[in-house]
Amino acid sequence: MALRGGNLDVSSGEVHLLMGENGAGKSTLMKIVAGMLERDSGEMLWQGGSVRFRSPAEAASQGIAMVHQESMLAPHLSIAENIFLGREPRLPLGWVNRSQMMQRAQRIIEEHHFPLQAHWRVEKLSPAGKQMVEICRAIQQGSSLLIFDEPTSSLSDAETQEVFRIVSTLRALNVGVIYITHRLEELRMIGDRVTVLRDGETVHSGPLADLSTNDIIRHMVGRELTSIYTRAPLPPGEELLRVQNLTREPVLKDISFSLRAGEIVGLAGLIGAGRTELCRALFGLDVIHSGVVTVSGKAVRIRSPRDAVGAGLALIPEDRQRAGLATALPISFNFTMASLNHVSSFGFLNHSAERRIAADYTARLRIRAASGKQLAGRLSGGNQQKVAIAKWLVGRARIFLFDEPTRGIDVGAKAEVFEMMDELARSGAAILMVSSEMSELLQVADRILVMRQGRISGEFTGRCTQEQIMRCAAFESSPATQEEQAG
Amino acid sequence: MIQRLLPFFTLIALFVILSIASPNFLTATNLSSVVRQTAVINIMALGMTAIIISGGIDLSVGSMLALSGLLGTMTMEKEGIAMGMIVGVLTGMACGFSNGLMTTSLRINPFIVTLGTMGIFRGLALIISKGLPVHQIPASFSYLGEGTLLGVPFVLWILLFCALAMHILLEHTRLGRYAFSIGSNPEAAYYAGVPVRFHTTAVYAIAGLLTGLAGMIEASRLMTGQPTGGQGYELTAIAAVVIGGGSLRGGEGSVLGTLVGAFIMGLLANGSDLLGTNPYWQQVIIGAVIILAVSFDELRKRRMTA
Repeated sequence: MALRGGNLDVSSGEVHLLMGENGAGKSTLMKIVAGMLERDSGEMLWQGGSVRFRSPAEAASQGIAMVHQESMLAPHLSIAENIFLGREPRLPLGWVNRSQMMQRAQRIIEEHHFPLQAHWRVEKLSPAGKQMVEICRAIQQGSSLLIFDEPTSSLSDAETQEVFRIVSTLRALNVGVIYITHRLEELRMIGDRVTVLRDGETVHSGPLADLSTNDIIRHMVGRELTSIYTRAPLPPGEELLRVQNLTREPVLKDISFSLRAGEIVGLAGLIGAGRTELCRALFGLDVIHSGVVTVSGKAVRIRSPRDAVGAGLALIPEDRQRAGLATALPISFNFTMASLNHVSSFGFLNHSAERRIAADYTARLRIRAASGKQLAGRLSGGNQQKVAIAKWLVGRARIFLFDEPTRGIDVGAKAEVFEMMDELARSGAAILMVSSEMSELLQVADRILVMRQGRISGEFTGRCTQEQIMRCAAFESSPATQEEQAG
Repeated sequence: MIQRLLPFFTLIALFVILSIASPNFLTATNLSSVVRQTAVINIMALGMTAIIISGGIDLSVGSMLALSGLLGTMTMEKEGIAMGMIVGVLTGMACGFSNGLMTTSLRINPFIVTLGTMGIFRGLALIISKGLPVHQIPASFSYLGEGTLLGVPFVLWILLFCALAMHILLEHTRLGRYAFSIGSNPEAAYYAGVPVRFHTTAVYAIAGLLTGLAGMIEASRLMTGQPTGGQGYELTAIAAVVIGGGSLRGGEGSVLGTLVGAFIMGLLANGSDLLGTNPYWQQVIIGAVIILAVSFDELRKRRMTA
């Protein structure tokens, strides 16, 4: 149930902003409009008549098209072939009229002053270029409603400006535009009206001019404006990790922060803000272009996960099945994968030590498994998460990077994962926890860092509200915010 | 569990059926000839087991076998048997090492890398020998392939030693465990700090070493160094691993399974000969057995995960 009561109306020549937190149901609503998902109930009126689209093609034939967050183009084909995919100009006997296709594609490109050539291959284009191709395709289909799903989340500033220019042009052409975004301040210039979704329901819909930024944030976050810390904070210990001016173009810019023993630090931000990228860079999965990383007072160069493990770092990645667990191997193999040195000498494994570890951690973490021989892939999501974490407990990791640790696990397992993190902190580990669920961060973290567009845009210690964090993640930098809020 | 042992039961059943069907089967001469015939493939398949467990494949082992045998016997002409053995075995190891290095550092799919080196190793063997086999081999070298120790073929001792060593390597060493981890989920292994490149390369080098040894045994049995030998052996070796429960998706396989797989194929060939089956039909039967064995195994796995 991603969407319960979404209401929205758009007229031609209007840019309608659709806003909401991660998981509020924006994309679900738009996928229903564009025919990619079917609604369970409710009604959709299109140009005065009731409609129900069963496929994107059906929606497209009625003039509704979607420009996707991730490009949905055929990368090995030319721009012209992509624009006309599925509706190529034909010659007799099923031949494609290539020259006509090229000419018509080039004409569409030129009409909109896109810096493209119809014969270019799509895979060589920048993300903005790919979006332009998607827009050309929508225009070619004669769309009168275009949906943009966070088009700027992966674009540079210059490319973002380009998208804005395109949106303005479309409005001038009397096309209706629905624009999903998190970045309100940039869109004041082109948005006409705004609809805010929260927990799958429309909570506000009206002209943009009537709303202040604060109003919008309040609508997005909802009533829960107070923060509750349920975790007893620990006296901070020694500094375990210090990051100074870490940069990885273009996703991470000039990031500095530190983690102390016994601390759980939350990392908030919207999708695409660079949180996962920060974890990856710290763990040696991606190259760092500049900056210094210090572990327990010693500067370290981490160029591979192996270096990171050696320095005492652990990463529990967002996608456990793909990167955190060998699902076809027994859980005992998974427990010791990152610390095989501890259960082997001169290259030979000590099977009885390994069995002891498996039995020990299965019991300690209350992992529901028949034995250490059970295959990891046969455990439930929450238990898989525990095995992925246990892998690092067996080793001597002291700095833990948790990327969305609660995604896809049930409430009970969530609480157990939090408990495990608390226990880790109490035993002297430092934890960085990425989460898109702010209520979780407020519950668990001692301190919250906020990222926005590759930078740390704010830090909150002590009491703070979801509203403050959301403002910092989406709109402006924090020192001003905090003072404003205090005054 | 019963299905897991299916290849083993198949082997026993085959043995019993052939004992009844042919009076010549259960004789010392015939059995030792089966052992000698399968030893070469068996030793190659042991190396292939490690490669397949680590998620790789090596199509070049047939050519590698010929190149190792050739260089080994050529050295033997001048430097004697011991030196020849060393050169032959090290040639295989160097070939395997370069396969591993190319797979890991150029990040090319091992299927493609070894498809390429399959041609390169074969070509090198033909260039070096000018296409002519080596015949000037010390007579006592035949002991390796044809000799007997304590009443059983000497190659059986070699095979048992290699099998035991490979079993220990896979089940009781860090290298073996890393091979399973890399084959099961290379990304998870990399994230866990496993030195993926080093261990992948090591696995290919060890398999190369075994192929070099197999090349010397083949040379000893034929008493020639054949630049054109070993053609198609790679597929037989892969088939032995797969019949024995190895998965081309990586992360699965065992020494015992591979031995059983290789002997099933050895007995099928031997049995067809003894029963006078048309040799053309032999190929059809062996092909069908490969498909049957793997489809039973897939069925078992699917039921296990369901």
